[in-house]
Amino acid sequence: MIKRLFVFAMLVSVTGLLQASNLKPYTAKGPTPPLVLQDLQGNLHDLKDYKGQVVLVQFWATYCTPCRKEMPSMNKMMKKMGNVPFKILAVDMGETRAEVTQFVNEVKPEFTILMDESGKSIADWRVFAAPSNFILDPEGNIRYTLFGGVEWDSDELVDKLKALATR
Amino acid sequence: MNLKTVLICLAIFALGSPVQAKEVRTIETDDVDLDVRIFPAKGNVLLLGFPCDEGRSIAEEKTAAALAEDGVEVWMPDMLSAFMLPKVRSSLANISTDALLALIDEATSTGKRVYLIASGPDTELVLRGASQWEQGHKNTALAGAILMFPRLFKAEPEPGKIPEYVDAVGKTRLPIMLLEGERTPNRWGINTLSEELQKSGSTVKAEVIPMVRGYFFKRQDANWSEDVVTSQMAGLIKVSLFYLEEKEIND
Repeated sequence: MIKRLFVFAMLVSVTGLLQASNLKPYTAKGPTPPLVLQDLQGNLHDLKDYKGQVVLVQFWATYCTPCRKEMPSMNKMMKKMGNVPFKILAVDMGETRAEVTQFVNEVKPEFTILMDESGKSIADWRVFAAPSNFILDPEGNIRYTLFGGVEWDSDELVDKLKALATR
Repeated sequence: MNLKTVLICLAIFALGSPVQAKEVRTIETDDVDLDVRIFPAKGNVLLLGFPCDEGRSIAEEKTAAALAEDGVEVWMPDMLSAFMLPKVRSSLANISTDALLALIDEATSTGKRVYLIASGPDTELVLRGASQWEQGHKNTALAGAILMFPRLFKAEPEPGKIPEYVDAVGKTRLPIMLLEGERTPNRWGINTLSEELQKSGSTVKAEVIPMVRGYFFKRQDANWSEDVVTSQMAGLIKVSLFYLEEKEIND
């Protein structure tokens, strides 16, 4: 039994490391696409207004199982970022406010949820799967991308994001 | 008992019991002997599907039976079992193009208009078979293809980049009907995929099926709307065939 637990712990640990290492340097050409969307309360958010902060732009959906699983770790990551200027903008991919509100009440993300009911930003940002993540430096340049669910509060990821803020 | 409960019961009943094909024919190829489940019909349309299902596609067989009752003959070869391959995506590469061509040849030799259909990653077989068949034949017996929630990425899509598709994409001239679920991120890629498919001269029509996820008719955790759409899949395919036939007439 102890051997099994040890193997399981090793697998979890290795998987976590592999996931964190999936952070890829952004190599696509061209400027950062625009992102101007309303949140669930109807407030307008413009990505440009978050210059000076490290920003995680995530494209997600309520039916995406990895998205649901990783959201608690995103809440924890915000706390681990401490005083580092950091913002999460989580863009829902084309669902209704009712669907997203129900999800938010269940999963309780503590970050900003944006609504893209038309799919315009999904096309602008060339997103073809969920969750798709873009990490921007304080100048607003996309530095990393990441596809798939991860434990966002892993030390490796938090350290990489903190490093972006201090460059 | 309310209407919703009645519909769920009907859908579960419709999906629950297996259907027997009227005939299982063995088609010999250079590589393997292919067992094909045949749902015969008197109409002049033949739907050749590639369900890599190891013979366990209850929803597909129910749909095939319903289509046959409506005059559309359906052939369902089990490619995985024929090649003794496991049900994993990488098995597709081990299904020989010659076997696909032998099936298409056999289907077109009936004199019926043949349409190909597959779902998920299996849609690669449709595109590969069609493009190779077109290279050796000038006639129009092969008339179109239906791709249900095609999963044709070569690798995981990288955020911010146009995805790369498997080599078979953009090689056939067949008219294509592309169906995708509304509740899957893949719906946002249908325009890009359509553009890639059109590069070889295909006319592509893409439709999003409301309120269902990808692979909805294969899901163990199917919800109410997915059960209902699954029970109506024969109608969905007939509408797709109607579109493809219309394309054929207009072109």
